[in-house]
Amino acid sequence: MSVPSSLTAGPFVSLVLIKKKYLFFYFYLIWISFFTIQLEFWWYWDLLFEWKFIHFIAFLPLLCIVMYLTLIFVSLFNAKLILVVLNLIHKPKEGVYMRFLSGGSKVGKDYRYWCMRNVVKRWPIWLSHKFPLPFLDNICFKLFNVKTKFSNSLFSGWVDTEFIEFGKEVAVGQGSIIQSSVIIGNLLIIRKTIIEDNVKVGAHSVIMPGTIVRKNAVLAASSMTTIGEELEEGWIYLGIPAKKFKKDVFFDDGLEEIIEKQMYNVEQIRQEYEKLHLRRQDKEL
Amino acid sequence: MNDEPEDLDEKKSLIENNQERKDYSINFITSSVINRISLKFLLLYIPILWLSGYMALAVFFDMSRLINNWIITALLIPVWLFILYFIFVFGLAAFTRAILVIINMVHKPKEGVFKAEEGNRDFEFWRLRTELKMLALWFMNKGPLPWIVPWGFRWFGVRIDFSSHLQDAWVDVDFIEFGRKVTTGQGAVVMSSMIVGQYLIVKRIIIDDYAVVGGVSNVSPGTIIKKDTVLGAFSSTNINQILDKGWIYFGIPAIKLKPNKYAEERQGKITRKDVDRQEKYEVPLEINIDEDKKELINGNNNKKEDT
Repeated sequence: MSVPSSLTAGPFVSLVLIKKKYLFFYFYLIWISFFTIQLEFWWYWDLLFEWKFIHFIAFLPLLCIVMYLTLIFVSLFNAKLILVVLNLIHKPKEGVYMRFLSGGSKVGKDYRYWCMRNVVKRWPIWLSHKFPLPFLDNICFKLFNVKTKFSNSLFSGWVDTEFIEFGKEVAVGQGSIIQSSVIIGNLLIIRKTIIEDNVKVGAHSVIMPGTIVRKNAVLAASSMTTIGEELEEGWIYLGIPAKKFKKDVFFDDGLEEIIEKQMYNVEQIRQEYEKLHLRRQDKEL
Repeated sequence: MNDEPEDLDEKKSLIENNQERKDYSINFITSSVINRISLKFLLLYIPILWLSGYMALAVFFDMSRLINNWIITALLIPVWLFILYFIFVFGLAAFTRAILVIINMVHKPKEGVFKAEEGNRDFEFWRLRTELKMLALWFMNKGPLPWIVPWGFRWFGVRIDFSSHLQDAWVDVDFIEFGRKVTTGQGAVVMSSMIVGQYLIVKRIIIDDYAVVGGVSNVSPGTIIKKDTVLGAFSSTNINQILDKGWIYFGIPAIKLKPNKYAEERQGKITRKDVDRQEKYEVPLEINIDEDKKELINGNNNKKEDT
């Protein structure tokens, strides 16, 4: 599984309101996280560099892994502290807010704090997604109050980092987007997205804020839900916007033979698609 | 006006009938993402990272001791970073391959339909293989040189040429065959395995010469894309779909749009212009060889037998 370099998927933090004063959060988080690993390296150098050089080289790669992990955890811990303070000042809640008040001069309070939360989360999330260790992402999600299980694979899609709930064994496909907030014109809409057990989200599909996906449902590839849509339990949804396609019967036992028979019946499938093509041509004529 | 409700009723009854019949045909696409993450893969990651990191560092410290002048050492640091990156990546590839060989000896990878749950041998080994290959390919993809990615795919068992391009796409590393000069667009997903409900489907994908897979499109297991065929952007193929030679396909699922005329220049035809009549006509491309050997070129053998 190669991952495209042009698409750096991962936990999704949108940066829309860029202000110089927000650099303060970055400086603080980057400085304090690098400071700790500097101390760590210094201690290691002092311990082994002149005393036993061979051991110094041998354990250096391991130290690099440990340093990377401490870099993430220290920045995560500090980001969490800042977030707690921010949430005390202004409690994040669902709703529809104006981005710019009174003709575009003044920034709305909810919108400002939403942006500030995203800025604070940016550095630890960017760091934890730099290497293919999916559980680091899941730790980030858990600390930022997203309800997930460790076994969920959310690694290869964009997933928002607040107001989302996941059930067990959710799989998010390559390049798909799961949002809990969206900007439409001058409005910022924040609504809770709930995804229940055993849900599979196909590749390149988009889940808009407020969507509730019930158990055993499937959203097929390249499809999109609307705001506040509810996908019923045990159905396969497809299209833009997503509509009921057929029942999800693939949780029954003993289907191996039926599916396998389909897989080697290539000629029949080919004729079906040829029919579809002819029908489309007739319509045009 | 009165006809519409009847139509709706008919549609409803059709849908209900379909519900009762239980439609098992797979005509939708999900994704090839591993549906469970577990910490036990770290047990393999840490030794691989450690050994390849040690290789790079050992080379660096060994060579840097030979050069005593600190100015030259400082000047060489950018070169060193480049070399160390390659030693590190090749180390990763080598150690991953070594583990893969052992894994494939224990359990041979095969196509088919398996149950996607913990305890199923086929599923567990499929997950192990993809997780293992992911680490090395991730590091290759983050690097500055594009040639290293096709090499990585070749190294892990995909049949691919260096003329093909899959740098920006999302390609599985099992059961895929590429022809020559295949282009896969940005963010396209080419997956040879797919999880549907409880089941894991694995089937070989073949993409023939000069095929183009458009950006943000999905290619699902069992697809065969033949020569000179284009799959348009934001479209997807279903399981086992065969895209015919020399057509442009588009839509979800992909259906023939029009013949691919843009590929004809390479098929041995050239256009000539008659200046007096202002007309263009097509002539087969002639190759400058002896008259008696022209029969050996494709198609001419049959003519001789007829006459």
